[in-house]
Amino acid sequence: MGTATRADAVPVWHQRRVRIYDREAPLGYLLLVPTLFVLGIFLLYPFLFGIWLSITDSELGNVGNFIGLGNYRFEFRNTDGVFYGALINTFLYTGVTTVFKFGLGLVMALLLNQVFPFRRFVRAALLLPYIIPTVLSYEAWRWMFDPTFSVVNWLLVNTHLVQYPGPNWLGVPANAMAALMIVNVWRGTPFYAIAFLAGMQVIPLDLYEAARVDGASRWQSFINITIPLLRPVLLVVLLLSTILTFADFQGPFVLTNGAPYNSTQLLSIWAYQWGIPGGAIGLGAAISLVLFPLLTLVVAVVLFMLRRPE
Amino acid sequence: MAQGSKKGKSGWSRRKFLQTAGVAVATVAFPEIIISCGPQSNSTPAAVIPKARKGASIRLLQWTSFVKPADAEFKRQAAEWGDANGVTVAIETVTGDQLQPKTAAAVEANSGPDIIQMQYAWPHLYTNSCVDLTNDVNILISKLGKPDPVNEAYCKVDGVWRAMPYTIVPNAWSYRTDYFTQAGVSSFPATWDELTAAAAKLKTTGKPISQTDGHAYGDSLTMWNPVLWGFGGKEVNADGKTVAINSQETRNAIKWAQGAVKAGFVVHPEWLDPDNNQAYHADRISGTLNGASIYIREKIEFHHYTDVTNNAPMPSGPKGTFAMNLIFNHAVMKWSPDVETARAMLLYLMDKTQYQKWTTIAAGYNAGPFDAFHNDPVFAADPKLKAFQDVVAPGKWPGWPALPSKKTAQAQTQFIVADMFAKALANGGTGDIEAAISAAETSLKAIFERP
Repeated sequence: MGTATRADAVPVWHQRRVRIYDREAPLGYLLLVPTLFVLGIFLLYPFLFGIWLSITDSELGNVGNFIGLGNYRFEFRNTDGVFYGALINTFLYTGVTTVFKFGLGLVMALLLNQVFPFRRFVRAALLLPYIIPTVLSYEAWRWMFDPTFSVVNWLLVNTHLVQYPGPNWLGVPANAMAALMIVNVWRGTPFYAIAFLAGMQVIPLDLYEAARVDGASRWQSFINITIPLLRPVLLVVLLLSTILTFADFQGPFVLTNGAPYNSTQLLSIWAYQWGIPGGAIGLGAAISLVLFPLLTLVVAVVLFMLRRPE
Repeated sequence: MAQGSKKGKSGWSRRKFLQTAGVAVATVAFPEIIISCGPQSNSTPAAVIPKARKGASIRLLQWTSFVKPADAEFKRQAAEWGDANGVTVAIETVTGDQLQPKTAAAVEANSGPDIIQMQYAWPHLYTNSCVDLTNDVNILISKLGKPDPVNEAYCKVDGVWRAMPYTIVPNAWSYRTDYFTQAGVSSFPATWDELTAAAAKLKTTGKPISQTDGHAYGDSLTMWNPVLWGFGGKEVNADGKTVAINSQETRNAIKWAQGAVKAGFVVHPEWLDPDNNQAYHADRISGTLNGASIYIREKIEFHHYTDVTNNAPMPSGPKGTFAMNLIFNHAVMKWSPDVETARAMLLYLMDKTQYQKWTTIAAGYNAGPFDAFHNDPVFAADPKLKAFQDVVAPGKWPGWPALPSKKTAQAQTQFIVADMFAKALANGGTGDIEAAISAAETSLKAIFERP
C-alpha cells in the first residue's frame, strides 16, 4: 500500500525523465547537445558561411550573388604566378617545418623524460615560446633578423661563422623563407615536445624493465616500445600541427607580409590580401578553402591509421 | 559685350528683386542656408547643420599618429566637444596596419565604431557602409574653401561624399646635411638623375640614401608610384580599365631605379614602415623618404641630429614632379545609432580654429585638406618643414590617372608597382626588367579585367 502510494505520488513527466536518464544511449545524446550546440555555432556555421562566401561574388559589406566555382577558376587560371607561388610556398613551409618540429619535439621529449634536477622548471619553461603573445614574439624576431640591428648576425659575425655584415634575412627570397621556417619551428616545437612527453609518461616502465632484462638496447626499446605506444599521440599531434601550419598567418604576416616581391607569399596571406584590404571577401574565402580537399584527405588517412589495429 | 552691359543696366526686374530679397531674408532667418553656396550648383539642397543629441555615445576609431601629442590633442578636443554637448566620446587608436582589419570586421558585422578613419581608397571599398556626408562636406567647403583633390577623389564615390576630408600626411625626404656636405653634395637633389649622382657620392660616407621596396603600406607606395609617374608611367589609363603598365615610360622609370641602385642608392625589400625611421635615428643612413615624423621626433624627442637634419620635396622626373602622401578621411558608419551626432562632432573637429590647434601640436606632420589650411602657420614656424607643405600640391593617388576605385585599391594592397621595382632591383639592381613588367601587367590585368 505504502509503495503504491509513493508511486502514485511521482508525476508522470518525472517518471519519463527518470527512464531517459536510466537509458544509456538517449542520455549520451542528451549530454552531447551542449557540445554540438557550441561546435555548431563556433565551427560549423563559420565553416559553412566560408564555403558559401567562396561560391559568391561577395564583397565586404555587400552580400554577393552565386557564381559557382568562379572564384576558384579565377585563381587557378590567373597566370601572374602569385597564387601558384603561394600554393608551393605553403606546402614547402608546412612540409619543412613539420619535419623539423616533429624531430626536434621528439628529441626534446626524450630528454625531458629523463630524471634530472629542476626538470619540472625546465618542462614549464619549454612552453615559453607558446605562452608569449604571438605578435610580440614575431616582432622580436623581426628585430633579430633586421639587417641593421640583427643580434643573429652580430652573433654569427663575431663567432666568425659568416663575414660582416651577415645575411640579409628578410630581404632575400630564400633567406626570408628560411627565416619564416626558423621562427615557426621555434614556436611550434614545444607543442610537439610537451604532447610527446605526456604520451611517454603513460608508457608503463615495466615494459622497459622487461626489455632490459631481455638484453634490448636503448635504441631497440625506443623503436619497439616507445614509438609503437606513442603512435596515437604522434599521429594526432602531426595532424593538428599540419592543419595549423597550413593555415599559419600571424608569423608570416608580421615578418614579411609576402615580401620580397611575393617570394614568401602563403595562401593565408594571399587570401587576406584579396579578402580584407582588397574587399573581395568571396575570392579570399575561395583561396583559403583551396586546401580543404587535401586537408580532408590528410585527416582521413590519419584517422584511418589511428583506428587500424596494431 | 555691349549686349551684356545693356542687360546689366536693366537687370533689376521685379522678379530678380524678389528673388534677391527672398534669399537675403531667408539667409538672415536660416543662416545654414548660406552654406549651400560656394562651388555647389544651384540644384544642391540647402545644407543643414547637424545637431548633437544629448546623452548619445560616439566611438571613433583611427590610427595612432607617429606624433603622440597630436593624438592627445585630438582626444582633448573630442572630449571637450562631448562635455559641452552632453555626449560620451571615446577615441580608439590602433596602429596603421591594424586599422583595416578592424574596419573590415566592423563592415562585415555591420556593427562597430560610429566613425572610422578611412585611409586611401577605403570609401570606395566600403561605400555601402558609409553615410552620405555631402551635406556636411558642403558646409566645410563653404567655410574652408576647395578640398584637396586627392582627399576629394578618395572621399567622393559616384558624386556622393562618403567620407569627410580629414588630413594629409605629406611625404618628403629627410636627410643629413653633415653627410651631404662631407660627400660634396650642396643641396638635396632636384631631379631623379641628380639623386643618382648624390647617392653615388653618399655611398663613400658609408651612410647611403635608402628606402624600402618591400611591402610597407606607406613608404613603399609613396616612393615607387611617384618614380613611375615622374617618368610618365602608369598602371592603368584614365578610363580605369585599360592596363597601361607595359610601356617605354615604365621601362625608363625602372632603368633609372636600377642605375640609382648600382650607383649607391640602397633599397631594402625587408623594411616595413617604421624601419627607415629607426635606421635614420640610429645614424645608419643619410637620407630617406618619409612623413615628417623623422624630423619632428628628432626635434622634440631625440635631439641627436636635429641641427644636421633637413627636409626636401620630391625630385622631378622627365614628366614632372609627383608625390604620394598618406591621406586620411573620416566616415560616419551606417550602423551608428547617432549618425547626426557623429556628423556634428566631425564638423566641430574640422572647424578652422580647432583644426589648427591640432596641426600646431602635430608640428608639421599633418596638413589640412582644404584651401583654408594651405598657409597653415605651422609650416611657416619652421623653414625646415616647408618641404612637407610643398609635396601636397603634386600629390596623386595609386592608380592615377584613373580615379580611385575598388580595383585601384586592390592593386595597391597587392603592392604590384612596388614589387615590379623590387624584382628589377634585386641582386644590386640587375633584375630582369621585362620579367618584372610582365608580372606586374599580368597581375594588373587580373584585377582590372575581373568582372
